[in-house]
Amino acid sequence: MTALFVDEYPAEARLVKAAFLSSFIAFGIGALFGIIQALHRTDIFRFIDSIKYYTVLTGHGVFLVIAFTIFFLVGLYQWAVTDSLERGPVDIRFTWFWYGLMAIGSFLAAISILAGFLEQPPMVLGAELRANVLFTFYAPLEANPLYYIGLALFLVGTWLAGIDWFRTWWAWRDENPGERIPLRTFMVLTTMMMFFLGSVGVIVSILVFILPWSLEITESLNPLLTRTLFWFFGHMIVYFWLLPAYLLWYSVLPKLSGGRLFSDPLARVVFILFVLLSTPVGIHHQYMDPGIAEGFKFIAMTNTMFLLLPSFLTAFTVVASMEHGARQRGGEGRFNWLQALPWRNPAFTGMALAGLVFAFGGFTGIVNAGMNINYLVHNALWIPGHIHAQVGTATALTLMAGSYWLVPQLTGNRLVGRQVALFQVVLWFVGIVFMTNSMFRAGLVGVPRRTAEPQYQGFEYDVPVGSMGELNAQLALGGTLLFISAMLFLVLMLLTVFNNDSEPIVDGTLPPALSGPEDSPQVLDNLRLWFGIAFALVVLAYALPLAGIVAQSGLFGQDIPPFPVSSEAVMYLEFGLDYVGALVT
Amino acid sequence: MHTSPAKLLILIALSLVILVEGRTVLAFFGINIPPLETALIGLVIIATLVIWAIRPLRGSPTKSE
Amino acid sequence: MGSRVSREIGHDEYDPWGTLSLIVIYFVALTLMWLFTYFVEFIGNTPTVMGMIVPVMLG
Repeated sequence: MTALFVDEYPAEARLVKAAFLSSFIAFGIGALFGIIQALHRTDIFRFIDSIKYYTVLTGHGVFLVIAFTIFFLVGLYQWAVTDSLERGPVDIRFTWFWYGLMAIGSFLAAISILAGFLEQPPMVLGAELRANVLFTFYAPLEANPLYYIGLALFLVGTWLAGIDWFRTWWAWRDENPGERIPLRTFMVLTTMMMFFLGSVGVIVSILVFILPWSLEITESLNPLLTRTLFWFFGHMIVYFWLLPAYLLWYSVLPKLSGGRLFSDPLARVVFILFVLLSTPVGIHHQYMDPGIAEGFKFIAMTNTMFLLLPSFLTAFTVVASMEHGARQRGGEGRFNWLQALPWRNPAFTGMALAGLVFAFGGFTGIVNAGMNINYLVHNALWIPGHIHAQVGTATALTLMAGSYWLVPQLTGNRLVGRQVALFQVVLWFVGIVFMTNSMFRAGLVGVPRRTAEPQYQGFEYDVPVGSMGELNAQLALGGTLLFISAMLFLVLMLLTVFNNDSEPIVDGTLPPALSGPEDSPQVLDNLRLWFGIAFALVVLAYALPLAGIVAQSGLFGQDIPPFPVSSEAVMYLEFGLDYVGALVT
Repeated sequence: MHTSPAKLLILIALSLVILVEGRTVLAFFGINIPPLETALIGLVIIATLVIWAIRPLRGSPTKSE
Repeated sequence: MGSRVSREIGHDEYDPWGTLSLIVIYFVALTLMWLFTYFVEFIGNTPTVMGMIVPVMLG
């Protein structure tokens, strides 16, 4: 038994714990908002005003896919860098500084979202404090400037985290000249290169256009431009959610299976492919947007189809590593080896089931990526089905499973309730299948997404199988199971943190890969080269579309004032719709 | 025991998943199973799995994962 | 946590046949699902909500 992470690196363990704590708080609030939505939009139990639904929806998005995932990512990556380089950061005060920026930023954003629940939100920075703009904050929907300031601080914190890990690696490289980058550090560095490149879009969108516009420094903006800049970042960010799960699948899952990673070079190739391809594909989120030429959308589609490659490579490498473990544990046969896997270990089972959901959820991604077939599902509930299968399970379930393995090493406490933990991960798996199956089916009959009340008078959905009531019941049941599972996870984490008087049963050592770094070409570690190619690809994919958008309606658009999202605005909108409706008749 | 509690749990979960998704697939071929019957089939599957799992093995000592 | 290795299998004596079998099944499933979504759901259906805006708004 080797020394625990907390004993070897107590200072770094404190930071990882702080990051996980922030992540889990966001997870709890986000999960609560999730069940409110599941019950509200299906009209099973409505206890909030439908206008507040959009506050809940914004919170669900931002707390889960920004705060929960990214705080977990920085914690996990701090662990990965420290453990694989066997050294701490150059200056731990800097590490706490970026964590502090992220914490303040998310606090400001959270306050501005939650203020949406108040009957009379206070005035802050010259505007009502609210941010019912959803996770995508499409202008001209406008939030309080505080929300954008919070997001900006959070993003700056994440950038500094990346710079911190690069500094740590540079320091290590000086001490260990000529050595290959350890695999986990390689994964961290490539992920952050991807983030640096892709987040430029959203940072420019916030700092140059949306924040000055919300502060009334500029009078107008170009909504298609800010939207395109958002999606410049928006598809890269999905891999930013996913790559921590990949890091766990490549480094921890083989060990939990009782084997070794099948191939270190393949893992490096996969991460490089993400650096190259995850940004120049963002326009595939905008197939339905007018104002972008079809040809550019076609290029984005082609790039997206190439992006399937690293995920298929991962399916092979990770399953082959699991099979290696199963065979080392005595597994035999073409399929019987599956029985030899350590299914009673919640960390293993959670990751394996997450991988299974990811494989089939990936199929829905192929549908979304097709330029024509996307029209079938684009504005429908199918898309939330896809995101819940992918980030909501492939990432979230893997992070929960990873916590069962990692948190005991960070706290020095034994995991409380291993059997409950196993039940928890299996419950999540069942819940997500119930919920997403219903979302996919409802999406195919045209049930819209982002809608508090997708029930219309004088209109019936043409449900080929069963009824809308049944689809709704299934969605709500799935959502409820997920909520119970999330709460079980948080309770187990809390109990583990306070389980002081115990010794963890966990072995933190990770075995070397079957085919190690000595088999991988040196050029894979040439990070400058890959960043250069990635940059060139982004320029190729985005220069002309962005130029086209600016040429059409200018950098700052033509007289696009803010559309404040408040209850009055919604009332005006309702009035306007009634008026138009009356005119039509 | 024919299998371990952990594997039994996962088998139950997988069979529920196959039931829900399988029902959707069957519906594409015009075979509609109403919700109540689906739930009943689910219960029968779970009961069968549990009975199979806890049935004692002949001749060999109880083994658990 | 419970990885009871009963034998060591090195790089040269390991061929992931089980993985190959699973991946073949996966690709067959992907192909069938995609053909279904494209030809039945996408090509085979008429637009769902288009043309309905007036009756929807009038309630």
